[in-house]
Amino acid sequence: MKDLHFIFLLFRKEFLLEFRTRSAISGIFLYVISTLFVVYETFVKIQPNVWNTLFWIIFLFVAVNAMVKSFVQEKGNSILYYYSLLNPAHVLLAKIVYNTLLLFILSLLIWIVFIFFGDNPVKDVWLFLLILFLGSVGFSVTFTFLASLITATNQNATLLAVLSFPLIIPVILMLVKISAHALRLIQDTAVGDDIAILIAIDLLLCGVAILLFPFIWRD
Amino acid sequence: MIENGKIWKFTGVGLLVYVIIAGMLIPLKTGIESVKPSYGKAGEVLEIEVTGYNSHFKEAGNSLRAWLKWENGKAITSKSLVIKDDRKITLAFTIPENLPENKEVQTVTLLIDNSIDGTSVLPSAVFLTASKEKVLSEKVNWVIPGDFSNTSGITFPFRNILGETIRNTYFHVPLWFGMMFLFLFAVINSIKYLKKGNSEYDLKAEAFTQTGIFYGLMGLLTGALWAKNTWGAYWSWDIKQNMTVVALLIYAAYFILRASFEDPEKRGRVCAAYGIFAFSTLIPLLYVIPRLTDSLHPGSGGNPAFGSQDLDNTMRMIFYPAVIGWTLFGFWISSLQFRFLKLKKIQEDLD
Repeated sequence: MKDLHFIFLLFRKEFLLEFRTRSAISGIFLYVISTLFVVYETFVKIQPNVWNTLFWIIFLFVAVNAMVKSFVQEKGNSILYYYSLLNPAHVLLAKIVYNTLLLFILSLLIWIVFIFFGDNPVKDVWLFLLILFLGSVGFSVTFTFLASLITATNQNATLLAVLSFPLIIPVILMLVKISAHALRLIQDTAVGDDIAILIAIDLLLCGVAILLFPFIWRD
Repeated sequence: MIENGKIWKFTGVGLLVYVIIAGMLIPLKTGIESVKPSYGKAGEVLEIEVTGYNSHFKEAGNSLRAWLKWENGKAITSKSLVIKDDRKITLAFTIPENLPENKEVQTVTLLIDNSIDGTSVLPSAVFLTASKEKVLSEKVNWVIPGDFSNTSGITFPFRNILGETIRNTYFHVPLWFGMMFLFLFAVINSIKYLKKGNSEYDLKAEAFTQTGIFYGLMGLLTGALWAKNTWGAYWSWDIKQNMTVVALLIYAAYFILRASFEDPEKRGRVCAAYGIFAFSTLIPLLYVIPRLTDSLHPGSGGNPAFGSQDLDNTMRMIFYPAVIGWTLFGFWISSLQFRFLKLKKIQEDLD
């Protein structure tokens, strides 16, 4: 219970920091709209299978841009105070939870803008929402952990993309496959297995990240 | 005398020498490479030209026998048999009017037996079209092939399409096994570094990762060469090939990460953490995802790989030493690389 309390406090801190300035979320919001505008200007009409691919690619780039900032505030001397006070696992978990929520909202936003500019090829809304959530978890775990690795270097954005894109491929392949199912592009009876595998990958990455974070956070 | 610490190195090299010599020199078993034409009709005389592989038809002479066999076990003997040379014979069969199965198109297996090469089998060698009407009074001399010749000598199995490329089993597959062992040892050293903070473990992890990437590239290359001969192209965008490239990209990023740090202590910690994280994604990447889609690769999509039919005892005698040999050899390369990195570090510290 005490763990949950700490995680909640840290989560609230992340949330308040963002809510006060709203710099990240508004920047990302504009990023989403301008990207989708370019996409629809060039594609005009998007077929469902192209829609599926585009959606996840745009989500991937949005996520990288949103996550680069995730450890920016954690530099400087004031943060030394944290180290003496907190359990690193709580810090990471709070960030993962916050980033998951942020990415989930962003993915919903991308979906809404997609619907606004074009049409909605998603047939199974609840399945798609589930995939958006599981995708947000996978992205959040990977990007948060890698962002914490590279805060010590000077070349944040490029390095995060280089490190994370190959690592995110197992997650994104599963996502594209299940979401093709939600778009009724494929008929597959084993969609439950795919979801189970996706959850397993998410949990695996999360577990490894929590185990490793205590060794790298004091930079 | 060989020192104790060197025994494993010599074992590795010895095994590799054995693998290369035996794996390259042991001939393939006699097989049937092609049959022309590969179709015929019921009630007609079917004349086919058979090309053998590693065969000695001329030498075998009169001991040559040939059958066409249906799935239900019934077979007919060849009517005539003309030997052109060691690799080519022309066979003639009188195909019966009433075919044994109740199908419009039936496939038959070709069996050839002689005293030198033993028995060779080509499944689905000829497609036969059944005739519309049944002939009531037809006498067919059905036989059951038997009394096969025994042959001595060590050979590798002959498989159509695969042919000589079956020898790649001693290079591509063990290199891949070796890569996994090397990456595993890199992870073990990374964990040790995180626990103890001794910079030697960091250098060891780096050396193992470098050798692992080298093995991975070699595995990819030998696989691509093999694929050119069997799948028809170096690169077929097969899921296994793609995931391999992704795995190598993940490990290539490890070196980019290494290069972006100045402080060796910080570099060691961050890279060790990344290495462990990367290794844990290899498991879904290489062993889960490829199983979800169709693949041309042996072992998936119903393709043969390590079943009892596919890796016979002769191949096992080379394959298992190859796995051990390539792994030990990789460890030797890594230990040399580790010593090189260590000396480089000492030099840097002195400067």
